[in-house]
Amino acid sequence: MSEKKFDTLKDVNDVVISTRIRFARNLREYPFPCRLTDEKKRQVASIVKSAVLDGHSAISGRFGYIQMSELTQEEAVSLVERHLVSPEFISERQGRGLLLLDDESVSIMINEEDHIRIQVISQGMNLESTYDLADKIDTLLDEQLNFAFNDKLGYLTQCPTNIGTGMRASLMLHLPSLKESGAMGKISSSLSKLGLVIRGMYGEGTEPKGAIYQLSNQVTLGISEQEAVNNLRDIAYQLVTQERNARENLKKNITIQDKVYRSYGILQYAKLMSNEECMQLLSNVRFGVESEILTGIDLPTINRLFIEIQPATLMKNIGKKLTPQERDRIRAELVRSALMKPQVPSSHRLEE
Amino acid sequence: MLCQSCGKRQATTHIKTILNGELKEYDLCSECANKMGYGSFFGNMGFDLDKLFGSFMDSFPTASRAAKRCQCCGSSFEDIARSGKVGCANCYDVFYEELIPSIQRIHGRTSHIGKLAHSAGTQVKIQNELARLKSELQKAIREQEFEKAAQLRDSIKELEKNNT
Ligand SMILES: [Zn+2]
Ligand SMILES: [Zn+2]
Repeated sequence: MSEKKFDTLKDVNDVVISTRIRFARNLREYPFPCRLTDEKKRQVASIVKSAVLDGHSAISGRFGYIQMSELTQEEAVSLVERHLVSPEFISERQGRGLLLLDDESVSIMINEEDHIRIQVISQGMNLESTYDLADKIDTLLDEQLNFAFNDKLGYLTQCPTNIGTGMRASLMLHLPSLKESGAMGKISSSLSKLGLVIRGMYGEGTEPKGAIYQLSNQVTLGISEQEAVNNLRDIAYQLVTQERNARENLKKNITIQDKVYRSYGILQYAKLMSNEECMQLLSNVRFGVESEILTGIDLPTINRLFIEIQPATLMKNIGKKLTPQERDRIRAELVRSALMKPQVPSSHRLEE
Repeated sequence: MLCQSCGKRQATTHIKTILNGELKEYDLCSECANKMGYGSFFGNMGFDLDKLFGSFMDSFPTASRAAKRCQCCGSSFEDIARSGKVGCANCYDVFYEELIPSIQRIHGRTSHIGKLAHSAGTQVKIQNELARLKSELQKAIREQEFEKAAQLRDSIKELEKNNT
């Protein structure tokens, strides 16, 4: 996979938050999950679990197994907020299991829509190595399990939308300038013609909270994994360029600058903050950093906060159930301590 | 069931999402689903059955649809079309003819290219390896690595010879 022609764009982490590769796989000997009894689901879970945990690869020992029915609701929702499992996966937890790598970069959902969903996530734009790891884990499992595969249709899945490679490659993008300029609707409809889809990650409606979008390939049959990944990368780089161009115009606007500084001020001093407000303000500040209006804040910190301020993850990290107001207080505290500038001693200030 | 957003059109898409720390499920019409960013019927967002199987269902007489069932999982094509879920791997053989128009509509193509499971047939494996070698050959020529290109050409010849 050649990345040469985009050398000038090398670091695109101002726009690309994370990379995700997912494979859908099924065992040939068992009907798909929609046709499985709880007893059969448990059998599938135990087969997949031992294929991963008893494997001879170095990575095997780093997986932990979670029986989904044993989690509290907050723990389950937090897995979704951290992008480790799908909302579908926690909507019915009986008979479902999760294999999670120690650093949470790999999650294997058992008995979601398919028997096996292998997912690898990494920070920033990282399609090549993320794909390689997912491919390696898939090959390890293929050696031990008998996957449902058809010479004509490729990997067989419960939903025909996933047959073929069974691969979904996604990039999480921050596109505040394109959203502000009202271009997202048009972009979204032209992407669908190219076999890609873009949708808001948080909240609902045409105004996704925090201007965070997920760009993924749609077509999985008749296109190789490499080609699908390359297409995704090409389109992502085009979106990066468009976002940067739109940003250049916006950053000169005094109203926009004011919005960035006010957002930063509120994040540093507020005592109570709702999830929705926090997402919006973090997005404004991230825009400020991307456009160099603000300095001294690193993007990974903001990326991390996008996830840590989510309600269920907040409660999971605190270790107890919280009322909405307690959540708003702890959320404000969390953001404040992450973003508050260290107090610079006055002697240092003079030297500057 | 009517769409939970507009209350006017028939709901065709079932959506599961996390909103403010809670799991929410909605039934939406395809227009509202589109507006709310769930336009695609892919992934975990549920999918639009009407689009997928609806028009196709009409073209098959009910009697012939009901008669055939998959011996492995018991699904009829009607079960599959109604739920949007294929019952098992064997269903893809049993209902291949019925499924292929929808597959064509979804993907625009009907045959797999890419990674193969170890259970794939030998012939397909050889075809796949040939395709891989040929694309590597193209790359080697492009990058003027002629020694590598010569080796690749030999491997391709060898493979093609053994295959005939
Ligand atoms: Zn509607
Ligand atoms: Zn079947």
